[in-house]
Amino acid sequence: MLRHLIQRLLLAIPVMAGVLLFGFLLMQVVPTDPATVRAGPMATAEVIAEIRAELGLDAPLSTQFLLYLGRLARGDLGASIINNIPVTQELAATIPPTIELMLAALVWSIPLGLLLGTVAAYWRGSLLDRGIMAISVAGVSVPVFFLGLLLIWIVGFQWQLLPFTGRAGPLWTVDGLAAITLPAITLGGVFVGPVARMTRTAVLDVLGQDHVRTARAKGLAERLVVLRHALRNALIPVVTLIGLQIGFLLGGAVITETIFSWPGVGRLAVGAILSSDFPMAQGTIIVLSLGFILINLIVDVLYGLLDPRVRAG
Amino acid sequence: MTAAAALPEEDIAPPRAGLFRRLVSDPGAAMALAIVAAVFLAAALAPWLAPFDPYDNNLRAQMRPPDATNWLGTDGQGRDILSRILFGLRVTLGMGIASVVTGGAAGIFLGFVAAYYRRLDQPIMRLMDMLLSFPAILVGLALAAIFGPGLEPVIIALAVATVPLMARIVRGAALVVLGHDFIEACRAVGMTDARLIWRHLAPNCLSPIFVFATLRLGQVILIGSGLSFLGLGAQPPNPELGAMAAAGRNFLFFAPHIAVIPSLAIFVVVLAFNVLGDAMRDALDPRLRV
Repeated sequence: MLRHLIQRLLLAIPVMAGVLLFGFLLMQVVPTDPATVRAGPMATAEVIAEIRAELGLDAPLSTQFLLYLGRLARGDLGASIINNIPVTQELAATIPPTIELMLAALVWSIPLGLLLGTVAAYWRGSLLDRGIMAISVAGVSVPVFFLGLLLIWIVGFQWQLLPFTGRAGPLWTVDGLAAITLPAITLGGVFVGPVARMTRTAVLDVLGQDHVRTARAKGLAERLVVLRHALRNALIPVVTLIGLQIGFLLGGAVITETIFSWPGVGRLAVGAILSSDFPMAQGTIIVLSLGFILINLIVDVLYGLLDPRVRAG
Repeated sequence: MTAAAALPEEDIAPPRAGLFRRLVSDPGAAMALAIVAAVFLAAALAPWLAPFDPYDNNLRAQMRPPDATNWLGTDGQGRDILSRILFGLRVTLGMGIASVVTGGAAGIFLGFVAAYYRRLDQPIMRLMDMLLSFPAILVGLALAAIFGPGLEPVIIALAVATVPLMARIVRGAALVVLGHDFIEACRAVGMTDARLIWRHLAPNCLSPIFVFATLRLGQVILIGSGLSFLGLGAQPPNPELGAMAAAGRNFLFFAPHIAVIPSLAIFVVVLAFNVLGDAMRDALDPRLRV
């Protein structure tokens, strides 16, 4: 287990270095000079030169990269070109809502996907199985924004049931819960299909194995056979596959946040890119990439916990 | 895919001859195939099929719901939605095909090299693992940040994200084929590596390549249209389907068809590719059917 984890961590290091290098290069290729921006429109040439020296912009690229890493370590990602708010301050405000949205989407979509997949596998070939698989393939094919726009139009506008713009406070308040409902349904909605498909395949695989036959032969209740023996073992491949789908979830989150004006990192990133706010874009992309790497590490740990073979190995 | 060496020879050769017949015998797959064919045809014939100029705005006919003149209605600037969808299919399909073909070709090459030259396997596949750490959407955001929004950065992002996936699949398939006796026979008669890979290895790996390319086309269209929806891909007035849906967002409450119709078009196209890809996998390799 420890070895497995260390291996994954070692693999993550060059990837993280790549992300940081990308962030640095982004600031090199952009057409704006950070010193001029920081100095403001009224600054004289001397002031700009002074800021240049202060920021180390005169130094060779390799030194600048080290300086940049130093600033990152201190949590200094620069400030927005648009409104001069520090990037880290904006990030601190937007990361929690994004995590909140992702969790709210996963908390219902993974159990539902597991249930649908198990049911479909158990009654393989039945009408129920076909129906569930048809819904799943539709779920894999539907654009997130389509689902979101339909929910806004029908549930939010025509039925006036739920709000569809922004976050309305913490989840334990009625308003906060109502505000997250439609975004969570949208983002989770595109995740149910993949989870159900993977679960069905994995459960079918396990149901055919000897230990399941043994469990049945010793007279174990069918419910326990499915839950304890089939689903439990099927979870291992499903967790791995869910890990592979995290990128999909991240993309969905960016779009969902934008449609519902959810104040998260994804929406911040899109806004920053569209308005050429380079420091902000750099900060958000670094955070999203690191978040993605982190989630994958968590999935790896979970995988190790679920599969004793990995733990031992 | 285990113990492949023990399989009889006819199991290894992809049963391509009967593929079409097998696909058509499954009603869902037949419908998906028909939709894919219709979509390609519609995109190819767009200039002749489109009843109106997709860029021609008519400010006296804005936001019209579908009627006899404008079968799918008009958008916020009075442009005919049917015509824009037809031309939009060209942009959206072109984006998908360009990225799957380029990224897929690179992935196929790397996959074969990794499988055939065992010394290169580790370095190539570790590099692919690293590439996998960057999902398409993040590469897309990053490229849009550097080069500015546009269709080209999106295509590059989707292609880059396709490379490691294709490389893994091709490597896996090639390793199975390389385990067979006929490969040893090819080596024994002194065949060059290039000839062996091109004439004997590649043809036996075509099934998984085609299946993955079909499924990937659907995924790539989904991600690419999503990026365009965010304003990071195709720019107006270019009729890309995702960008059209985004433009319709502003009129959602009084003219929902402007956003719904292009979104529905993406949904149908992606669904068709997914169903077709699944059916191809089942038809080409019944062992994978579950």
